[in-house]
Amino acid sequence: MAFFARLSPLAVIALLLAGAGLGLTLLKATYYQVPLLPELTTTVWSAEARIGFNGEGGSSKVEFLLPPPVSMTRAIDENFVSRGYGLAILDANGDPREATWTLRRSPKSKQALYYQVKVAGDKVVTDASVPPFPPVPDYREPLGSAIQAVLTRAREQSADVFSFTEQTLLILADSDDENVKVIRNVNDRPSWEHLVAEILAGARIPARIAYGLPLDRPQVDTRLIPWLEVHNGDSWRGYDTATGTPGYPPGFFIWRYDSPDLLSARGVRNIDLSFSTTQTRVPQMEVAELTGAAFRVQPFGLDLTRLPVSVQNLYQVALMLPLGALVVAFMRVVVGVPTFGTFMPILIALAFRETQLGWGLALFLTLVFVGLSLRLMLAQLRLLLVPRLAAILVVVICLMLAITLLSYRLGLEQGLSIALFPMVILTMTIERMSIVWEERGSGETAKETLGTLLVAICGYYVMNEPHLSHLMFYFPELLLLVLATTLLLGAYSGYRLTELVRFSALARTR
Amino acid sequence: MGGGLSGWRSLKRAGVLGINARNRDFVMRYNPRSKYPLVDDKLTTKRLAVDAGLAVPDLYGAVHFQGELTRLGRMLDGLDSFVIKPAHGSGGDGVLVITERRRGLFVKGDGRALSLRDIEYFVSNILSGVHSLGGIPDAAMIEYRVRPSRLFEAISYRGVPDIRLLIFRGVPTMAMVRLPTRSSDGKANLHQGAVGVGIALSTGVTGHGVMHDGVVADHPDFGSPLAGHVIPDWEALLAIGARCADLTDLGYCGVDLVLDDERGPMMLEINARPGLAIQIANQCGLEQRLEAIAAMNNLPAEIDERVALARGLDAASAPPLSGAATTGSVDEGVAPAVNGAEAPRATATRPPSAG
Repeated sequence: MAFFARLSPLAVIALLLAGAGLGLTLLKATYYQVPLLPELTTTVWSAEARIGFNGEGGSSKVEFLLPPPVSMTRAIDENFVSRGYGLAILDANGDPREATWTLRRSPKSKQALYYQVKVAGDKVVTDASVPPFPPVPDYREPLGSAIQAVLTRAREQSADVFSFTEQTLLILADSDDENVKVIRNVNDRPSWEHLVAEILAGARIPARIAYGLPLDRPQVDTRLIPWLEVHNGDSWRGYDTATGTPGYPPGFFIWRYDSPDLLSARGVRNIDLSFSTTQTRVPQMEVAELTGAAFRVQPFGLDLTRLPVSVQNLYQVALMLPLGALVVAFMRVVVGVPTFGTFMPILIALAFRETQLGWGLALFLTLVFVGLSLRLMLAQLRLLLVPRLAAILVVVICLMLAITLLSYRLGLEQGLSIALFPMVILTMTIERMSIVWEERGSGETAKETLGTLLVAICGYYVMNEPHLSHLMFYFPELLLLVLATTLLLGAYSGYRLTELVRFSALARTR
Repeated sequence: MGGGLSGWRSLKRAGVLGINARNRDFVMRYNPRSKYPLVDDKLTTKRLAVDAGLAVPDLYGAVHFQGELTRLGRMLDGLDSFVIKPAHGSGGDGVLVITERRRGLFVKGDGRALSLRDIEYFVSNILSGVHSLGGIPDAAMIEYRVRPSRLFEAISYRGVPDIRLLIFRGVPTMAMVRLPTRSSDGKANLHQGAVGVGIALSTGVTGHGVMHDGVVADHPDFGSPLAGHVIPDWEALLAIGARCADLTDLGYCGVDLVLDDERGPMMLEINARPGLAIQIANQCGLEQRLEAIAAMNNLPAEIDERVALARGLDAASAPPLSGAATTGSVDEGVAPAVNGAEAPRATATRPPSAG
């Protein structure tokens, strides 16, 4: 606290503003995962279901179960390829959705329908609903005795549901065990996992089978794989039944629980379902925008991406202006560069943004040079100030028109962008330049013109920096940081860099 | 050359006041914004001074509107010499000096002749706000042309030298005289190329000069030494300066005085943002003096006491005597050190009044 007591009120305000701006930004970046850099990419998996069948000539209908809502929270996009089939998606509240493809006359050839879902991130999510305790199944002998023996052994070596499950799975993995041999002989269950779930039910442990796709390497023509999940009263946990280790396959994307049946069809033959997975790298920003996760629940966050696109474009530029103003303030207060007008350099820099720097400089210098010559000629006519300004404005616009037409004839596209220069501002600049010219000579004019251009170029580089424009657009909270910096600049009472030269005659090296 | 951090430190050591520090620590702190109109409009300043009984150049007339231009000819009737300047001008821009009339033409200080139409155009430009701060419509004032005192004949190219007094809290803090040169077109403006010559507050004796921010020893046109000239009635000038500052309630201001050959000292104008080149002319930073005065709790109310205080402060703070600078009778510690005489002429800065 003593540290704060010594600070001036201004420094405290600046610190608070900067802290708030940086804090909100970091919160957004870490907690809501809005990427700080535009080029950060992330892996996106596409899982594709292919439904192949032969039509029978008559009307046909294919129903396909889509992944459950809990899995769809990982999805950033989905699409259906239907090829002339009518598509309806039944959105049962809370239940998995069902896609229905229908066709009045399906040709007798091979048909294929596709469903593709894009999945971001590799965090496995599973349905969290709490199951009831299962009843103890009625095992047939000798299976019942073998199961009881295994469960008794496992119970002796475990403390809770999860360690019990692990022990059971370890025992079941030992194929030399007599009891296990008996159990492994049973093969009328849909999968080994189903049998394990049945065994665990003998100890009244709730278990279920999650069918899904591992997303670790691209696969073609694969099936959903079953995976055991056990509930301990609080949460579900996946288990590898082969090794007894808890966890899921990498990026496991769950499609359905307890049954791999996703299809039902009428009026088709040889229906077949297969899956393939591929991975692509896409910009994090795209994922953040698609999921809307970045902007979902931010108590203080500003979300500009929800605005209409035209307004967004406006703010893309508007949010860079404070940075330009910061550059001007810095160049004038700390460096001491002389400029025409205060914000003239920013406006020129904005025009450079549209015209590209080289062209912008060339066009600006041409306009100013010709405009200034004409202005100095106008001086002979002794016009009153405001009509004279109007006359210069007309001349400036004529010049712009001439350059535009000329570059159009020559096929130079950049020349057309000259219309983006702020005409009125240019006019005022030419007028001010001519007065400086008349009163202080060409040297002073050249100095201030160079100063203006120098600041405009700095402003152009700052305002055109894609990282900065990304930051300002997605983290408008940074404006607070900019504000804090300008406040501090306003309180700067040190020397300007140019003063070090100006007062060098006074420098003392005592 | 003072570049980088070492340049910074040596300036700090010399107590040089920068523009940012001037604006923030002195202009903004000691000059109430409400008093600016008093000095920004030279007509107002003049009225104030006349009411207080201070000598100013006589006002022959003022033009406020373009429509009045037709009356200009009549206004100038019978005036052989006069000065036209904008009431809101800054840094001496837009000042026209007519020294005589010849065959219906007006002859400028540099010998060029102007017709009445030329002068009308000039005044019209002033009225449009070409020279005023921010381009707002302005008034033109026509006033008495000061006859330069013979005192400065040897070191002044045409024009009228003026004496700039920096007054802080009513106490004269630093002084210089601005001498017109050929390159300044006979105008006493530093950014137009006039020479500023420091004056020791305690004695009224000139020291070395500054031109385009570089130190010079001799007048660039005549080669005559700038140092060692004694300003007569120095104490009275300081007192006038202090009184002018009192008129405006500006805590930190520059008062410009001229010495008329016949009428003696007159107040020309007061500047609320006085430039910083005065430090180079005096070879002395302002910081220590300003801080010393800022630290005083009760400054004397009497003008005489304040002048005495100013002279005492100067005598105490002046840099050690350097033999090279002195000619004539000089008290102890008056002449400024000339250690920077060979310094380059820096030109990369803004004119002092535009900060």
